[in-house]
Amino acid sequence: MRRRTMQTLVAVSAVSLLTSGCLSSGSSGSSGGGKGSNSKSIELMLGFSGEQLDQFKKSVDPYAKSQGITIKWSPTDNFNQLINTRVQGNNPPDIAMFPQPGILLDLAKKGRLASLDSFLDMSTLQNSMTSGTLDTGTANGHLYGLLVSMNVKSLVYYPKKAFTAAGYTPPKSIPELLALTDKIRTQGKTPWCMGIESGPATGWPATDWMEELVLKYGGVDQYNKWVKNEVKFNSPLVRKAAGTFQQIFATPGNVLGGRKSIAGNNFGTAGNPMFKATPGCYMFKQGNFVAAKGFFPDSVIADIDNQVGVFGFPPATAGGDNPVEGGGDLAALFNKNNKAAQKILKYMSTKDFAKDDAKTGAYISPHKDFDVSAYPTQTIRDIAEIGYKSTAFAFDGSDAMPGAVGSGSFWKDMTAWISGGKSLDGALKDIDASYPK
Amino acid sequence: MLIKFLNAILTVLAGVGGALVLYWLLNKLAEVLPGRWEDRLKPYLYVLPAFAAICLYLVYPAIQTVIYSFANADSTKFIGLKNYTALLGSDSFRQTLFNTLLWIVIVPLVTIAFGLAVAVLADRLNPGSEKLAKTVIFLPMAISAVGAGTVWRFIYAVNPPSEHQLGLQNAIVTAAGGQPVNWLQLSAFHVNSFELMVILLWAQVGFSMVLLSAAIKSVPTETLEAARIDGAGEIAIFWRVIIPQIWGTIITVFITVTIGVMKIFDIVYVMTNGDFNTNVVGVAFFNELFTNFNNGYAAAIVVMLMLAIIPIMIYQVRHFRAEEAGR
Repeated sequence: MRRRTMQTLVAVSAVSLLTSGCLSSGSSGSSGGGKGSNSKSIELMLGFSGEQLDQFKKSVDPYAKSQGITIKWSPTDNFNQLINTRVQGNNPPDIAMFPQPGILLDLAKKGRLASLDSFLDMSTLQNSMTSGTLDTGTANGHLYGLLVSMNVKSLVYYPKKAFTAAGYTPPKSIPELLALTDKIRTQGKTPWCMGIESGPATGWPATDWMEELVLKYGGVDQYNKWVKNEVKFNSPLVRKAAGTFQQIFATPGNVLGGRKSIAGNNFGTAGNPMFKATPGCYMFKQGNFVAAKGFFPDSVIADIDNQVGVFGFPPATAGGDNPVEGGGDLAALFNKNNKAAQKILKYMSTKDFAKDDAKTGAYISPHKDFDVSAYPTQTIRDIAEIGYKSTAFAFDGSDAMPGAVGSGSFWKDMTAWISGGKSLDGALKDIDASYPK
Repeated sequence: MLIKFLNAILTVLAGVGGALVLYWLLNKLAEVLPGRWEDRLKPYLYVLPAFAAICLYLVYPAIQTVIYSFANADSTKFIGLKNYTALLGSDSFRQTLFNTLLWIVIVPLVTIAFGLAVAVLADRLNPGSEKLAKTVIFLPMAISAVGAGTVWRFIYAVNPPSEHQLGLQNAIVTAAGGQPVNWLQLSAFHVNSFELMVILLWAQVGFSMVLLSAAIKSVPTETLEAARIDGAGEIAIFWRVIIPQIWGTIITVFITVTIGVMKIFDIVYVMTNGDFNTNVVGVAFFNELFTNFNNGYAAAIVVMLMLAIIPIMIYQVRHFRAEEAGR
């Protein structure tokens, strides 16, 4: 009897010990995250992973090693939420690479970020960086986010041989683009390929079209106001943009397969009929990512410089203001006294940073004076030049809108409008109404 | 890695051990009580932990959801019935309800009909062919709804008329000389909703077939022989002898499928995400909560869904009890 009681007592205490304290998985904390130190070990948080991250690491790690700095890479699929949580919990990383400027600027205005202009060579950067890219990371007159990589969305691809053989030339303004569209159509050919199907995210390529046109017609200031809903969807500017877009996709004969096929064509492969012996279409608007394996046909990618032509989406008037829509990663610093992190940022701001990375074709530098011979193909060189020649730079607007709009009603109402389920009027009003109150 | 592994083992040990200790303590507690009270309270003490867990993980969130359905988008202020009136007043949500109703009316009935037909017909094959037929029809059950959606995307896929048609249906249509059809955009008469239902049917008929087939096989042969001796034809036997005897199973399958259909989400989300007027309640709820971050709307939608499902659940429990009593 007594022995049984002892046994149970032992069992009970063992269980309570177990439940009260499991082994700690030895995350010996103290990475000094953002808390200013002379530590030679820094944490770098970013929103991309996989091959892209491996390439990026190759550009940074050798330099860090030469300086005796170790970088702890913290990739996350859920950057926006995680960065807010970590900042609120007073546990920020040392450097974070923001995929969009919205949250970065919020944090900067709340005083949670260190300005970069105190240790970066600003006058060199101003000459070197693509116009407008410094503005995207600037708040209250100070630079908080430095664009480290760049992608370009304002691109129209065309089948190089057939396009030039037919005597077409890249248009210099939106009216010229519309005229070229009409010309191709009246010759009995199909001017455009278009596809906005993307599974549950169907509709986003249509938001890119709208953003492009709002940006070209309204300029960066109006565009940013529109993104903040200070300029409504139901406004003359957005209606003008939608009118042009509608003229392109709704005019019978303008789009391969007709208006109805747009919502069924996949965003990544919709342009591929361009490359048939008799081109299915002559123009396709999509970001720089599409000129790579998995999107354009393999045979085209293998011979990309002879097969693919690309021009920048033209400005509203020839020779006028020509802002470019794109994206990229903005590097930010959390503690102004973190010397190791400063060194890494300084290195990232140099004009030939990631030159080796560029050779893979997956990286475009935001520096206008970047050695373009590092890009593996003429096509990528052309794409980079389109970015470098822009007069201003704007980030993807739908990404910066509230989720209910930017990945909700904007996608869905554009899809409904294009597929004929909703009038333009209804779509624009419904999007305005969907803004969270 | 090793530490994580050890922790997992320790957690399991601690969980099982903790439960044992808890029951042991509750038992001791009951034994302390004077005789009559011990017998009276003991069952309740044993039920208590499970009951508490259900309250914590099921009842409490349910009540909280009902409360949130009367609050604003970020659950900071009560706004009365506004979520309900706004949802029911919006044309798109009424369409969503109508689509869901179509699913509820059509899918369970057709699942039963097809399942029954296959079960009856397969019953007449030789054992080898019966097995093969049933296996093939049951096979889609093993595929997740998202997987099924991916498979059917290829069936409904469409390319511009000048292009090679990747989609199976459009390959057939164009081979017959027709123009490719944007299947998932055929919103007139809700054709596209029916196309999505076909996917669920494809996946569910196997389930209904297996249960109904088992029920048919357990129908006593004496009753069939008696009917034949009395001169009944095969059709009369089916309707008047077999169906009444498997009616319980039919109801069970019907209710299970109905409840599943009311909550349908994955197929619609994968195929159209509710575009082209195919939205259903489950997808509307998901998008309100995870895209629009509107807790109020999301909660109101699930509360309505809950209200609609409760009567069916009650009927199911009653039916189950009646079945048990009849045994």
